[in-house]
Amino acid sequence: MRIKKKLDWFIVINNIFLILVAAVCVLPMIHILAISLSSSAIAATGTVTFWPKEFSLTSYEFVAQRKAFWDSMIVSLQRIALGGAINVLLATTIAYPLSKEKNEFSFRTFYAWTFFITMIFGAGLIPTYMLVKELGLIDTIWALILPGAVPVFSVIILLNFFRITPKELSESAFMDGAGHWRTLWSIYIPISMPAIATILLFSLVGHWNSWFDGLIYMNNPGNYPLQSYIQTVVVQKNFATLTPEEAKVMAQISDKTLKSAQIFLGALPIICVYPFLQKYFVKGMVLGSVKG
Amino acid sequence: MKKKKYSKAILLLISLMVTTGALAACSSNSNEKQNNTPTQTNANNNNSSNNGSNSNNSNDAAIGDADPFGKYETPLTIHFTRDVDNDTQDNIIPKTPGESIEDNRWLKAFSEKLGINVVYDWTVSTGDAYTQKMNVTLTSGDLPDMLRVSPAQLKQLAEADLIEDLTPYWEQYASDDLKELYAEQGTAVLNSGTVNGKIMGIGKADVYGDGVYLWIRKDWLDKLSIPEPTSLQDVLKISEAFTTQDPDGNNVNDTYGLALTKDLYGGAMGLEGFFAGYHAYPNMWIDDGAGNLVWGSTLPEVKEGLKALSEMYASGQLDKEFGVKDGGKVAESIAAGKIGIDYGAQWNPMYPLISNYQNDPDANWVGYALVSVDGKPALSPQKFQSDGGYWVVRKGYSNPEALIKMFNLHVELNWGESGDFDYYYMPEANGSVGVWKYSPVQPASAFKNIRAFQEIEEARKNNSFDSLTGEALAIYRNITAFENGDTSQWGWPKIYGAEGVYRHGVNYMNDNLFMYEAFAGSPTETMAERKSTLEALEKETFVKIIMGAVPLDDFDKFVDDWYKVGGSDITKEVNEWYASNK
Amino acid sequence: MIELNIKKLKKELPLNLMILPGFIFILIFSYVPMAGIIIAFQKFIPAKRLFGDQKWIGFDNFKYVMSLPNFDNILWNTFYIASMKVILGLVVPITIALLLNEMKHILLKRSIQTAIYLPHFLSWVVLGGIFIDMLSPTDGLINTFLNKLGLESIFFLGDNKWFPYTMIITDTWKEFGYGTIIYLAALTGINPNLYEAAQIDGANRWKQTIHISIPGIRMVIVLLMVLSLGNLLNAGFDQIFNMYSPMVYESGDILDTFVYRIGLLDAQFGVATAVGLFKSVIALILVSSSYYFAYRFADYRIF
Repeated sequence: MRIKKKLDWFIVINNIFLILVAAVCVLPMIHILAISLSSSAIAATGTVTFWPKEFSLTSYEFVAQRKAFWDSMIVSLQRIALGGAINVLLATTIAYPLSKEKNEFSFRTFYAWTFFITMIFGAGLIPTYMLVKELGLIDTIWALILPGAVPVFSVIILLNFFRITPKELSESAFMDGAGHWRTLWSIYIPISMPAIATILLFSLVGHWNSWFDGLIYMNNPGNYPLQSYIQTVVVQKNFATLTPEEAKVMAQISDKTLKSAQIFLGALPIICVYPFLQKYFVKGMVLGSVKG
Repeated sequence: MKKKKYSKAILLLISLMVTTGALAACSSNSNEKQNNTPTQTNANNNNSSNNGSNSNNSNDAAIGDADPFGKYETPLTIHFTRDVDNDTQDNIIPKTPGESIEDNRWLKAFSEKLGINVVYDWTVSTGDAYTQKMNVTLTSGDLPDMLRVSPAQLKQLAEADLIEDLTPYWEQYASDDLKELYAEQGTAVLNSGTVNGKIMGIGKADVYGDGVYLWIRKDWLDKLSIPEPTSLQDVLKISEAFTTQDPDGNNVNDTYGLALTKDLYGGAMGLEGFFAGYHAYPNMWIDDGAGNLVWGSTLPEVKEGLKALSEMYASGQLDKEFGVKDGGKVAESIAAGKIGIDYGAQWNPMYPLISNYQNDPDANWVGYALVSVDGKPALSPQKFQSDGGYWVVRKGYSNPEALIKMFNLHVELNWGESGDFDYYYMPEANGSVGVWKYSPVQPASAFKNIRAFQEIEEARKNNSFDSLTGEALAIYRNITAFENGDTSQWGWPKIYGAEGVYRHGVNYMNDNLFMYEAFAGSPTETMAERKSTLEALEKETFVKIIMGAVPLDDFDKFVDDWYKVGGSDITKEVNEWYASNK
Repeated sequence: MIELNIKKLKKELPLNLMILPGFIFILIFSYVPMAGIIIAFQKFIPAKRLFGDQKWIGFDNFKYVMSLPNFDNILWNTFYIASMKVILGLVVPITIALLLNEMKHILLKRSIQTAIYLPHFLSWVVLGGIFIDMLSPTDGLINTFLNKLGLESIFFLGDNKWFPYTMIITDTWKEFGYGTIIYLAALTGINPNLYEAAQIDGANRWKQTIHISIPGIRMVIVLLMVLSLGNLLNAGFDQIFNMYSPMVYESGDILDTFVYRIGLLDAQFGVATAVGLFKSVIALILVSSSYYFAYRFADYRIF
């Protein structure tokens, strides 16, 4: 009885604390939303905080009319669909062999280091660009997907998960005559759903947020993914070198409400997806039944 | 066994890398598309000549036969690349239905009048992306026929012999108007595009800008019964009054005098105009009077300006946080009505000042001429803005003179006798958006605005508004629109109206009150290596002096350090350039 | 030599085939471009092409950067800020994950999980502007709060004493949601029976955490710790670039912002590549060493 009372207090304080943490995290997004719903004149003074002032939907109307915004949104959706699928597919087919011991897979260490080194050494913009160009991928969606096709960080996470999967499961599968592919598909993947959901999320978010590659690999701005497009709208100009033409442009692009509307809409889709993936982060799924 | 496996792995890796490296080298050396077939060069003809200039080696073209507007009988396709700014994307294209970057009135003009077809290899948004994209393009060797590059890239391309020498083409093909344009602000403008005496690139004609002005909230002056400033001492008094006498009448001590940003310098909210009042010219190279170039920031007059600023900071006349605020943030303070003095170019009413007006219709910003401490006229410091870039032609292209012709046409169609300013520059029918941006090359006179103002002044004097044409007419329309209630045009009368800031611009022009930066070349060797360090040193020191974080005499130490850490080498190189470019 | 046991190879064939596609991808897209690392040893001029007629200058690029005034300072700033971020970047997500794990209310838990991930989506371009306002010593939220508590205002973004910590804390705030997810996923893998057994034995919440939860995710912790060592010289260009100013170069200028300013004028690719290579080598040393330590002392192979 006493224990129950103590638990309650902790839960209460814990909940309050975490709610506060969450609030602090949500506030900037609310701030952006408030600006996007304010009039552009008042937004320019920087005095809008968490509630819109001089409520106005013009920024959203404007965005809705911007074909470039929606085109780029579609490109991004394609990108995360393809990119996510390829990332998860490759991550599982790489992590599984790497999770085996050396006696089961002689080349394991060689492969492991080969993959891992790429996390540390990068080639830089110019050589990568030249490769993409030579492969004829410029202005195609593949330029955004293939260079990052192997998500080494996710591979490492996944291989660790595979490793702690109880041997008994795979052994019994082998005895039933299942090969590696079958075992991977029917045993390891279902058990590792939390990990797979995690790496899928990382892949989706990574693809969604990336903007620099879009700018460089697409010669035609019509092919930009969403964040590349937003980057061209949002980035501040260096005032030290502002020319008269740019100044007139500033008057338009510095429109905070427009920027904010685009930022908000740019983050929205992926935020909506996240809760759906959460149902895979369920406590103690299957492991409990096996471990003694 | 593990060790052996590792060495094998490493060997494998290395051999892979070397192999692929070699493969890549082979493929990158192979030549790319060359769309300009030799047959088209024969079409490089002009009306008068019978010489049929065979322009594989265009130096053959006979002098005197060159027609600045000669049309190519067989259409010439030229590959360009370009950057597209937000104004174009979000404003101009939507308001010109049926037109796009690849297909618009300017490209049609080039095609119909000059027989030139403009094709874009790629387009990208202005700024960092353009720089990066240009860099990878250069590396991949895929140069378009004509491209716009930075001063450093100009030098590299010239030295690597990858671009054409444009000197003969300029001399033969540039129209008189064009040549005049590029001579308006001195020989440095055209010379800046030269490497070893040869014109390798054509930059902008209006690199120097047309004046730094003193923008003040006149409504605050009136409220506090302060007369307009005629000296820098007046400005100091005004700044104090704006800070302490509650000009916005809200009984809260929340207003400042002078606007400034963490970058210290710039076309708006910059300090150049203030320093000019002390006859100090930081952030540019100036002639010390004895024919030597020196970096303005190291001269003693700057110290005086810093002293004044530090006193202003100490007494709360400057935003205590200016050191972390960029232009965008300070613009917010202006919009919120917290600042009353802004040193900046003529376009400041367009941005950021109009935001203040939109929130407070009583905000009345008026532009004044720069004032000085000692009665001697303050000179308007004009920095050489080299990031407009230089247009170059890749080596081996059949018709380099086409670039010059395009320049000619742009000037002619906008401001020339046979031109149509309304249609080609700022069409009223399309909401007066700047369609001139559709043209890849955009030469413009540095003084065209001031001249337009003069035309309007003339019309005001004689009440002859219906005789206005071209740019002056378009501007006048905007002024009238504001007078008829269109508040979004507030900026235009501020610049071109009867009380507009260009009244002072005219004086600058007529009395030659411009202090042009004397160095206009590509970055020198030591500059490329040390400039960023020196800039950081300067900004850090000046900001700290103004904030009182370090004593004023640290300025002297700064000058010493500046020379020690590369400044003396740069000064030497800059003077070498100066001597050879006189 | 590896014992080429044909029978063994045949048995392992499926595994090799499985890993083959990924291997090919990584060869093409990560290793082939690595040949471009030679740029670090050249005075690279883009116009002269990648494998073209570039001047070889050996280690001059490295020497140039290291000889610039303030280099030592910048290296220290980079190291200090990055290490702090690594440490906080471990402690905070673990703590939050543990706390979240205790939540009974599923809907609330999921909402909070979503919420803490939000800052990750905002770019520093946007957040920079927001923080300048929030941390303003005159009227920012934080300082107003401090003043109410009787404390003096702090110029977070302008004071060299505070700037690094401001960077560290704001960055942790932005990214902790990311790490929390991983730890949460790991926590779900712990056998609930263990908790039940411990409770029966009378262990309270705290004891359960120390003896079950943390050991249960021990491997993930070590993994992420080692991987983040690879980031020890990446102090966060995006963030610092958008929030620093000449006032705080002394404590806030890092390798990447430094190199950026150098490159602004002349696109010094050689220098940038050299610095990148330098960072990679250090990272390799750090990670390899910790890999071996983890292996020898904890019998745990990270990958």
